[in-house]
Amino acid sequence: MKPPLLSVQGVSKNFRVSRHESLQAIHDISIQADIGEFVVIVGPSGCGKSTLLNIIAGLLQPDTGKVSLDGDDAVPRIGKVAYMHQLDLLLPWRTVLANATLGLEIAGATKQQAAQKASGLAKRFGLHEFMNRYPSSLSGGMRQRVALLRAVLPERNLLLLDEPFKALDAITRAELQIWLSDVLDRSNRATVMVTHDVEEALILGDRVMVMSPRPGSVKLELDVEIDRPRPEDVVTHPRFVELKWEIMSALRASTITV
Amino acid sequence: MTLSESHSRAADKPMRKSDKDSGLSHGSGTVVSSFIRNFITGWGSAILLACCGIIAWEALVRILEVPDWLLPPVSQIIVEWWQKKTWLLSHGWVTAQEILVGFLITGALGLSTATAMFWSRLLQRSIYPFLIASQTIPVFTLAPMLIIWAGTGIAPKVIIIVLFTIFPITISLMTGFQSVDPDMTAMFRTLGASRFQMFRKLYLPSALPYLFSGLKVAAVVSVIGAVIGEWIGAGSGLGFVIKNAGARNQTDTAFAAIFTLSAMAAVMFLIIVAIQARTLRNYPSSGAVQH
Repeated sequence: MKPPLLSVQGVSKNFRVSRHESLQAIHDISIQADIGEFVVIVGPSGCGKSTLLNIIAGLLQPDTGKVSLDGDDAVPRIGKVAYMHQLDLLLPWRTVLANATLGLEIAGATKQQAAQKASGLAKRFGLHEFMNRYPSSLSGGMRQRVALLRAVLPERNLLLLDEPFKALDAITRAELQIWLSDVLDRSNRATVMVTHDVEEALILGDRVMVMSPRPGSVKLELDVEIDRPRPEDVVTHPRFVELKWEIMSALRASTITV
Repeated sequence: MTLSESHSRAADKPMRKSDKDSGLSHGSGTVVSSFIRNFITGWGSAILLACCGIIAWEALVRILEVPDWLLPPVSQIIVEWWQKKTWLLSHGWVTAQEILVGFLITGALGLSTATAMFWSRLLQRSIYPFLIASQTIPVFTLAPMLIIWAGTGIAPKVIIIVLFTIFPITISLMTGFQSVDPDMTAMFRTLGASRFQMFRKLYLPSALPYLFSGLKVAAVVSVIGAVIGEWIGAGSGLGFVIKNAGARNQTDTAFAAIFTLSAMAAVMFLIIVAIQARTLRNYPSSGAVQH
């Protein structure tokens, strides 16, 4: 059998806070994600969600456990995984186009190749009219779209989203959640998103994993068997409400025990 | 301003007569006061202050009958400058050349020093103390030795200018490199950027606003450096002119040279500001480093 695209097995990570003390950020986490899947990790602030993503992206090394891509846990993952941060991290001196094609440029594409590749997706992302603008003239929501375009243009199979809408206002956030579920092509990609927003998890996710507070570990894992595309009023869907309650109970239980 | 503007705009709409009248008078007052305010907040206040200073100087010198060799009136300095302008400007050109060469060398040296310190922590630890130490040396005291070692040509002046300007330029670049957001660095790493790509596409452009504040400081101190160099031993240059004129009690000539010198520093400063405005036009303007 073909191994899953992403396999995280028993990963733990400690951070040293002083000479004698260290703090366990995440404890014994296992996750799998396959092509076509959208996995959402929900947890309270400070449960080590970002640490987990940083480990998957190869920015951090786990203390124990292993992470494999396509069954290979020895290959360096840095540069092979698309990663979108909660801040847009756009370079102010570059146009939208030049920001979006940064990854292609780093990979050695010529300006022309990169621009050509970007123009197709830009239209789908609703950015084609803004390609020559500078980030400072864009709204937060538009900037976040550019950041996502930059992340997906190099065509990695694994996309990590670290609370991508956290810095946005509630209205823009709701709008972009629906937008993201439409715009992301799932056929060739596995997506892992972390968030503290239960509704966001259920709007976007095929599978939701609930994390406990520090040290973060997986408390609950459930499938979101709601059809796609999910409309804006999916939040009132009876199954949606049930799942939301289930996740919130799990979150609450784990918060109280700590 | 917005308050009174909205007030005067409200006056355009049909209103009861008394309201309209008071609104109009308010509006015409706004035009004058906003002109004055713009003048004061722009360059106007500085020009005004300069004019006041010049008039006060001229008046005091004439009223108190100060002898010319002690302090000539401004008008006489201007006449002196006009009469000797070719001569002054040719000396000014000598000084300008020293500054330009010094600036170019410092630019290259500062960039490579800061880059070296960026690439290697060991180099940073080794070089940094000497950078600080270079600022504790009273450069003036080195000048006689520099004349012995490097002669009275352009070399010792350039060396002094470099010693003066290397610190602001290197430190501002280094500060710029260090101010790069670690999240940005992580983003570049996830895109697979090499250290060199990161330097060229992230660190260098991020440090530009810092570099420009360093350049502005360097522009001003480089003029001082050139004059010190010329003071100690030179056959030309504005520093040489000032020193000789002073020794012969030609106070008006000395002042004409001083004004030329400060005009040169101002022009350099403004050129850098103009380049900065063009280069950084898309940078967020909030940067505390952009004066």
